[in-house]
Amino acid sequence: MPAKSAVKKRSFDIRNVLMVFILLFFLAIIVYPLFLVVVKSVSTKTGLSLENYRKILLSSANMKAFWNSLWVSSVATLLCVTAGAGLAMFVVRTDIPGKSWLKMLLLLPYGIPPFIGAMAWAQLFGPVGYVSRLYTNLTGAFSAPWNIYSAAVVVIVLAVYQFPVVFITISGALGKIDTSLEEASRMSGAGPLRTLIDVTLPLITPAILASSLLAFVGCISNFGIPALLGFRARFFVLTTRIYSALAIPDMTLATAMAVLLAVTAGIPLLLAKRLERRSGKFTVISGKSVRPQTIKLGIWRIPIFAVVLTIALFAGVVPLLSMIITSFLTYWGAPLNSANMTFDHYKYILNLPMAVRAFRNSAFLATLAATITMFIGALVSYMSLRAKMKGAKVLDFMGTIPYAVPCVMVAIAMILAWSKPPLVLYGTIWVILAAYLVRYMPFSIRTTNATLQQVHFSLEEAARVSGAGWAQTMKDVVLPLIKPGLVAGWILVFMPALRELTISVLLWSQGAETLGVVIYNMQDAGYTQIAAALSTVVLFVILSGNAIVRKLSKGEITI
Amino acid sequence: MAKREKRIEVLNLVKQFGDYTAVNNVSFKVYENEFFSLLGPSGCGKTTTLRCISGLEEPTAGEISISGQVMTSAEENLMVPPERREIGMVFQNYAVWPHMTVERNISYPLRLAKKSKREIAAKLDYLLDLLELQGLEKRFPSELSGGQQQRVALGRALSTDPKVMLLDEPLSNLDAKLREQMRFELKDLQQKTGISILYVTHDQVEAMAMSDRVAVMKKGDIVQEGSPHEIYENPKDQFVADFIGTMNFLPCTVTAKTDQGVNVRLGNGAEFGLDSGAERGDYILAVRPEDIVLGSEEGTDCEVDVRIFLGNLIEYRVRLGEDYLRVQTDASLRLEPGDQSRLMIKHGLIFPK
Repeated sequence: MPAKSAVKKRSFDIRNVLMVFILLFFLAIIVYPLFLVVVKSVSTKTGLSLENYRKILLSSANMKAFWNSLWVSSVATLLCVTAGAGLAMFVVRTDIPGKSWLKMLLLLPYGIPPFIGAMAWAQLFGPVGYVSRLYTNLTGAFSAPWNIYSAAVVVIVLAVYQFPVVFITISGALGKIDTSLEEASRMSGAGPLRTLIDVTLPLITPAILASSLLAFVGCISNFGIPALLGFRARFFVLTTRIYSALAIPDMTLATAMAVLLAVTAGIPLLLAKRLERRSGKFTVISGKSVRPQTIKLGIWRIPIFAVVLTIALFAGVVPLLSMIITSFLTYWGAPLNSANMTFDHYKYILNLPMAVRAFRNSAFLATLAATITMFIGALVSYMSLRAKMKGAKVLDFMGTIPYAVPCVMVAIAMILAWSKPPLVLYGTIWVILAAYLVRYMPFSIRTTNATLQQVHFSLEEAARVSGAGWAQTMKDVVLPLIKPGLVAGWILVFMPALRELTISVLLWSQGAETLGVVIYNMQDAGYTQIAAALSTVVLFVILSGNAIVRKLSKGEITI
Repeated sequence: MAKREKRIEVLNLVKQFGDYTAVNNVSFKVYENEFFSLLGPSGCGKTTTLRCISGLEEPTAGEISISGQVMTSAEENLMVPPERREIGMVFQNYAVWPHMTVERNISYPLRLAKKSKREIAAKLDYLLDLLELQGLEKRFPSELSGGQQQRVALGRALSTDPKVMLLDEPLSNLDAKLREQMRFELKDLQQKTGISILYVTHDQVEAMAMSDRVAVMKKGDIVQEGSPHEIYENPKDQFVADFIGTMNFLPCTVTAKTDQGVNVRLGNGAEFGLDSGAERGDYILAVRPEDIVLGSEEGTDCEVDVRIFLGNLIEYRVRLGEDYLRVQTDASLRLEPGDQSRLMIKHGLIFPK
């Protein structure tokens, strides 16, 4: 006597309805706008053609920018990978003192927004910068022998702010190598150096390659650094060139160059992904963290420590201090003494409607962006990883497309999609929100995927056989277990959205300013201390957020 | 035998994943108060069968009843969700919830069943006592050893007094010593509670030690079903013979039928009689190490190759012509590698080549 009343197989599933909703949402907000950019870039008065691209290739200014993007990013990548690999080696694998402190200092620039970093470097090495003045005072020279507004400095600053990703990846790989592989090499008769070259380096090569590709993409997509340090020298790269094209506005040129940028950044991303998949076949990572053997530096221990410490300080602490000091300085270039210190700039920004608005707007945007993307991300992850619903993989794919799309292209896509009726969002704060949702969707899906994967299937199944239904299982087992991951993921979106520059600088309008926009405009207009005061507040929020995430995730995630 | 109640009945169960058939038309029954094992190498479909019974997997075809109630019937499009099957289940990795204490883990099913506080407390007390977890109530799983987590998982599965319990390789993550101890405890627990246990394992020693009946699975099929003793003594084919216990396999030829059985000739020319109904021809002879007498007066010549001391026994590897055999003798027979000796085969089985 089957209990048939109770038994039915579901023919209607609420989850299918949700899936269709998310699909439509992704189509409208991600696929359609990006599609418009590509269409626009190949449309001419006479129809579809590659004419626009031919024009770019024939214009020496555009070609120059493209070329600049390529070489600047390549050199910066080379620089930060060399430094990243070298420093990781010293910090992870030698008996250098103060390892954990050095590691923390080296990772500090991760929390500093690149454009704020560029401002700090201008404060340090600019014409009346702190380091420049120290130099002229010490040498008696009329001016420092360097020019902060130059291609070379753009390269250096790009390298500094891409460095942490490279450092994390390589030191992570180094720390996870099965040490018995190295010990076997020692037992076979190889010295420490031989072992390093023959065993260790080949093992971390995939990590080095993957992180260089990602660093290259980070450099070539960056807008803040070449904008703040390159404009004055009339040194243009693709992103800043697109910014100028949008100011004209020349949409065809802007879209074509954005596609060019997306392709140039997309190829290394694809390569990095393939590399990741292929290197999975070699078991570089043993899983368990074994205490790695350390190389004794001998008499070089202290000199090397000094060099690493200097680099580490200049990567994060020094720019941070410079920003704080500048925010208290009565006027830019004033001698550093207590008489020249004031709280006026902070009072000023508190009474500046635009600044107050910017705080409110950025907090509003970041909160909504984080909440919505995490909510959708969690649903998509659950559908694709757990419910194994057909079609959920498509959602996962669509949602992660923007990962390969540079911010400038996201912004252009929003302009194209949302400035015509029936839905005019351009000119309001909502267009920035739309762009943020697109931008941060991939990050959310990635965190929710990772979080959910840590909850073993059987934990859910154990609840089911214990007598809990689907909803009860979610409430009692799944949600409590993924909550820390969701909170960390939320902050991980909130923080970068709070200080976002590239998208909002292209999409802002009167009344819809963001913090990034106001800081950028202040700095650009020469109000160095006001920009510094705003930046200091933002940095404070970001660094405390970072500390919270670190605590929540027990050090596994940082911003 | 008195008529016993059927607790689990699986009828023509089929489970396909895409083109791959994991379980191919499997049928068996588990009776009340019975310890029944599904035994087989990894990928034989034993875990999939168990998951179909639990309701966590939906079969492609077939019918599953628990305590006389049809739970799954592909033909009738019927599928009772796992939470309404009233079974206990222990997972291979225990699946003890890391965010709940021992107490909350064990009492979770009781709370879902809306039992009174008093009832829950009493049951908890009983289980903590039974599983020797007293004093650990407030601990989190991360503060427990593997064996303790295992017992928490058992407690959770037992808490609602299910008539049927499913265990999926529950001992495979424990170290050897603890594993042996848990074998006794599981068997003891089953006898005390009178529960029917369906046990899935790839470890034949484990299955033999605890089960009342064993079903040996291979590539989605049940190859042989019976008591451990039956299967050990009379494996149905070479696969089962090889999988259960240790077995020597030798090419042989049946040369003649006799009154007692057949005459068998080995590769080295030795001939002897065996109890079998086989026709003349070439076969594979299967012999257990303990069914060989080494150092006998009669029999065929052999040479000692390797000796392994096992405490109560000595195991030799001996060369017989071109073949090698594992032989177990008691510890009193001392032969050195290289020694010449004789051996006799007391008992063996003949399988087609």
